[in-house]
Amino acid sequence: MLAEKALDLLRELQRTLDGSLPPYNEDGIRQILEEMKALFEQNQKDVSATVAGENGLFSGVQLRHSALERNKRCLLAYLYNRLEQIKKMRWEFGSVLPPEVKFNMCEQEVQWFSKYNKMLANYMRSIGGEGGLDLTQDLKPPKTLYIEVRCLMDHGEFETQDGNILLLKKNSQHFMLRSECEHLIRQGILEHIVH
Amino acid sequence: MSIDGSNYFDINDILSTQQRLPCKVEMPIYRLGYLDSSSESEHLQPGTKLELPFWMARALCSRKRHIVSVDLPKQYKEGYREIFSADPTMVDLHKLGPYFYNYGSQLLQFELPETPDVAKSLLQTFQGRLRKIMDSSQNCFNEDTSKLVEKLDESERILFKEGQQALNDFQCWETRKTEKLKTSEMVKNHRKRKRVVLEET
Amino acid sequence: MDPSEVEFLAEKEFVTVVPNFALDKIYLIGGDIGPLTPGLPVQVPLWMAVNLKQGQKCRIVPPEWMDIDRLQDKKQEETDSKFFTKMPCDHYIEVTQLLLKSATDDIPHADEIRTLVKDIWDLRIAKLRSSIDTFVKSDATHAKLNFLTLMELNTVRPFLTKALDQMHVLRSNNNGRIQSTQE
Repeated sequence: MLAEKALDLLRELQRTLDGSLPPYNEDGIRQILEEMKALFEQNQKDVSATVAGENGLFSGVQLRHSALERNKRCLLAYLYNRLEQIKKMRWEFGSVLPPEVKFNMCEQEVQWFSKYNKMLANYMRSIGGEGGLDLTQDLKPPKTLYIEVRCLMDHGEFETQDGNILLLKKNSQHFMLRSECEHLIRQGILEHIVH
Repeated sequence: MSIDGSNYFDINDILSTQQRLPCKVEMPIYRLGYLDSSSESEHLQPGTKLELPFWMARALCSRKRHIVSVDLPKQYKEGYREIFSADPTMVDLHKLGPYFYNYGSQLLQFELPETPDVAKSLLQTFQGRLRKIMDSSQNCFNEDTSKLVEKLDESERILFKEGQQALNDFQCWETRKTEKLKTSEMVKNHRKRKRVVLEET
Repeated sequence: MDPSEVEFLAEKEFVTVVPNFALDKIYLIGGDIGPLTPGLPVQVPLWMAVNLKQGQKCRIVPPEWMDIDRLQDKKQEETDSKFFTKMPCDHYIEVTQLLLKSATDDIPHADEIRTLVKDIWDLRIAKLRSSIDTFVKSDATHAKLNFLTLMELNTVRPFLTKALDQMHVLRSNNNGRIQSTQE
């Protein structure tokens, strides 16, 4: 059936979209574009033949045209949904994506992410007065100014706002400003200890 | 589903329009005979009956052109409609779908004589099943909800998940779990997937 | 909304505390508070009350409605009425939870209070679900429910809005405004 490959591409994407980004299926896309090329060329032939006087070719042209539109829709949906996922990742992982995720992105997607990053940073800088406002923080109303955290993995040295250096070694516990460590908790590097 | 056509990029909408329906060829379609797996012919001849995906059928059958004629799939016909009106809550709409409502709504574009009855049946079936979906999504935290969810079509499953999520959020709040800042779900899933990949290599 | 956001709004409710220290009047964005005089009851926002209590700087006076007899009457009233009754506090469940967590010693019969409030909540939520079912099955385009609190609304909001969106599409099918797929 026509446009089957395009559908497989989308099904594969839908299956793996919850945790991360699947690798950019360059191969799959190439195959779909080849199918589209073949359909288009066949239609070109039929149109010329009709102009030359042959009859009854319209139904075939119409069918191939619908397959072309379908392939186009699937490809665009594939690209669009991947971008939406990448956008979400900015808010979950922060401004630097883990290398495995980056590995799965194509060159243009990497560029898109960096532009989105810049745009978001500019916007956040422009609101909230002098220091700007970090929208990616405090996604829930904060309860306390300082919180107790435990390190889940080695993360090296961390310099706090007032100049102290903390050694974030696995299993070490620290008392930190919530605003400073919130993103590390989201990334799974620190664990929030609640009593 | 959305009323304004903003679902062009929606994967669920694309998958639902892939579902097939019975068609009959009305005009010859040359050099596309391979679409009919049961025939050896190079062309699709008038009279041939075959199943085509919705998106293709729609392009070939509309007010403007009649290259094929279409018929409703059986789950939207009178026999099934009567079952739905008798007891909508027991039917397995996932098996009949899985995009039962979405696909059904799309089929209405063909303006077949049964169309108004199908439209009415879709609405009433949905209204009849909503209570059960709502109650179980908001009540059964420990019960086995998988049996009920199995019979829900995709859009009902989304509703069910919303209800469950709201209940989940509320119960987390009740038990004061919301105070604890957490690793993002995406990060957790990403790690899980990474571990699986590493274990496999 | 997230329940913690609803709680954030609820924390603006005023409660009475009896401080054990003195503080001059303070001027905050949300309004003026105080002055605080040791031993004298004063009204402060809930967030501050909890904070002071955790620092052992005050004793909390339970709100008038947080009383076994009053709550039992309320529960009966809610059971008897077909509609939603007006709650003594628009954030009754959040206030109950926050006070019972941080000031159990200041609230007599804390366990019974907790159970009664939860019972009232369960009654109202069950009523809400029935109303939704009735509304969906009718052909009405809108319904009016008085005296619902924000937290109650919030638990049904995601489900209800999505269900109504779906219904809207299915209803429009019946009115001849059939959506067409884009290809």
